[in-house]
Amino acid sequence: MEINQITENKQDYMDLLLLADPQEDMIERYLEDGDLFVLSENGDILTVCVVLAKEKTCELKNIATAEQYQGKGYGKYMVRYVCEHYTGRYDLMYVGTGNSRKTLDFYKSCGFMNSHIVENFFTDNYREPIYEDGLLLTDMIYLKKKLDTEIDVKRVVDLALEAGRILLKNGGEIFRVEETIQHICRRFHVEDVEIFTLSHGIFMSAEDESGDAYTKVRHVPLSGTHLGIVAEVNELSREISAGQVGIDEAFDRLEEIEKMPAKREYFQVIAAGTGSFTFAILLKSTLAESMVAFVIGCIIHIWVLLAKRLNFSKIIVNIIGGVIMTALAILVLHMHGSGGLRLEGMITGSIMPLIPGVAFVNAIRDIADSDFLSGTVRMIDALLVFVYIAIGVGSTLAFYNSPIGGLVL
Amino acid sequence: MIREILVNVLCPFLGTVAYVVLFNVPRRYYVSCGITGIVAWLVYLGASEGMSSAVASFLAVMVAVFLSRMLAVRMRCPITIFLLAAIIPLVPGAGIYYTAYYLVTDQLSLAAERGIEAVKIAFGIVVGIAFIVSIPKEVFQIHYWRGRKRRKRLKDMN
Repeated sequence: MEINQITENKQDYMDLLLLADPQEDMIERYLEDGDLFVLSENGDILTVCVVLAKEKTCELKNIATAEQYQGKGYGKYMVRYVCEHYTGRYDLMYVGTGNSRKTLDFYKSCGFMNSHIVENFFTDNYREPIYEDGLLLTDMIYLKKKLDTEIDVKRVVDLALEAGRILLKNGGEIFRVEETIQHICRRFHVEDVEIFTLSHGIFMSAEDESGDAYTKVRHVPLSGTHLGIVAEVNELSREISAGQVGIDEAFDRLEEIEKMPAKREYFQVIAAGTGSFTFAILLKSTLAESMVAFVIGCIIHIWVLLAKRLNFSKIIVNIIGGVIMTALAILVLHMHGSGGLRLEGMITGSIMPLIPGVAFVNAIRDIADSDFLSGTVRMIDALLVFVYIAIGVGSTLAFYNSPIGGLVL
Repeated sequence: MIREILVNVLCPFLGTVAYVVLFNVPRRYYVSCGITGIVAWLVYLGASEGMSSAVASFLAVMVAVFLSRMLAVRMRCPITIFLLAAIIPLVPGAGIYYTAYYLVTDQLSLAAERGIEAVKIAFGIVVGIAFIVSIPKEVFQIHYWRGRKRRKRLKDMN
């Protein structure tokens, strides 16, 4: 669903315009100077609307929805869109209509109030009498709606930056962060925006109409990934740019989204175990080895959760993770004695919970989008994790193979 | 035979879903993630019969990422969710272990072989993703194709 302003061949939409205003020469009076908006979905035209702007006010001259789409809220959506479109440049939006209950109720539900009446407008200006709901239309009733004062540029920047920060923090790509910020700014008519996003921070500057610039920088430290939050912010940004969400509501929604909890810990632990188990099987481990991998995977994730709570660095988390998985596998090997377990069969699967999937994927995407700086940082971040794991596994194996290691066991 | 099918379908499904759980992917995407994982794994399995594992990974990732993009457009969500699912069955986790193992047991040539193998697979994955991600996004929207047909018809008429 999208709304476009039409500047050429306005006559093409006459069929629909005639639904709201039955006399063609009356339409032509305002069509040329007015702004024509068209709401369409997948190429079908649903609603048209003409607004004529004068010095400080503007008037909604015509709004019509194709018959088969009526009663579905498209008209209301259109009215809201044009009101927001003219906000900031004009103070009042007028609309004139006949004395029909249905249309008056419609405009009142859109926030219009009674203004004044032009007597005998319809009988004076239209050749044929117009009947609506069986009533002859005579006087034109004017309604008005006060257009809010201009939305503060600062507030828009704050909102956009907050959305961007939440995305970046929870594992959004650079391109998604910048696109979201741009969409939000454009939606609230802040056009002069420059954004520079890195993997650890967002720099943003916007100019209002008087040329005053407002700049904000946000540092976004690397932390846990929560793709659920990324998906939610994405959805919210979609709704904002479609005009369904106002600025205050957007702030509230963002705050709520950020509070979204992670999956319950026992569930995560079981998932880590299951993952280790299945990948062990895929990597041709025996069933017994895979079961061990399940247990090791669970323990590894418990360690990851614990380390997160204690704010350990990635280096420690992954090296110790590698040590734990190798040590456990060696332990099982010795406890079990002779029976056919292989070290590699138990370890290869249980590496899975440590694999930095999101960092890796985002690094590739950033590089593919030519965000080389952030892409490189994230790629190094991901590759180092593999190195850390290898160090953990390797050092434990080395210790085990050395004479002292043999003595300990 | 049946066991084989079960293993090669059920395991990548469960494993992929389990992995995306760790990144807090919403529940409504589990099934599509799992399917992406299955596709990636099956293509890899089929391709690795005749090709090196790096090339097989490349092909598998291409197919799975293509599917991911369609799913992302369809379900209106960030593609990252499905990309995760597409790569996880292929990530050379075992390569890390073997490299470390051969290094510490002083079998350096084997270690180098395994290490380079892992890096090659990683490169296959990178190139596979980069390829598909670079296709403009309109291609994945249904009405692009509908519109194309319409435009074509118009062209024929003129």
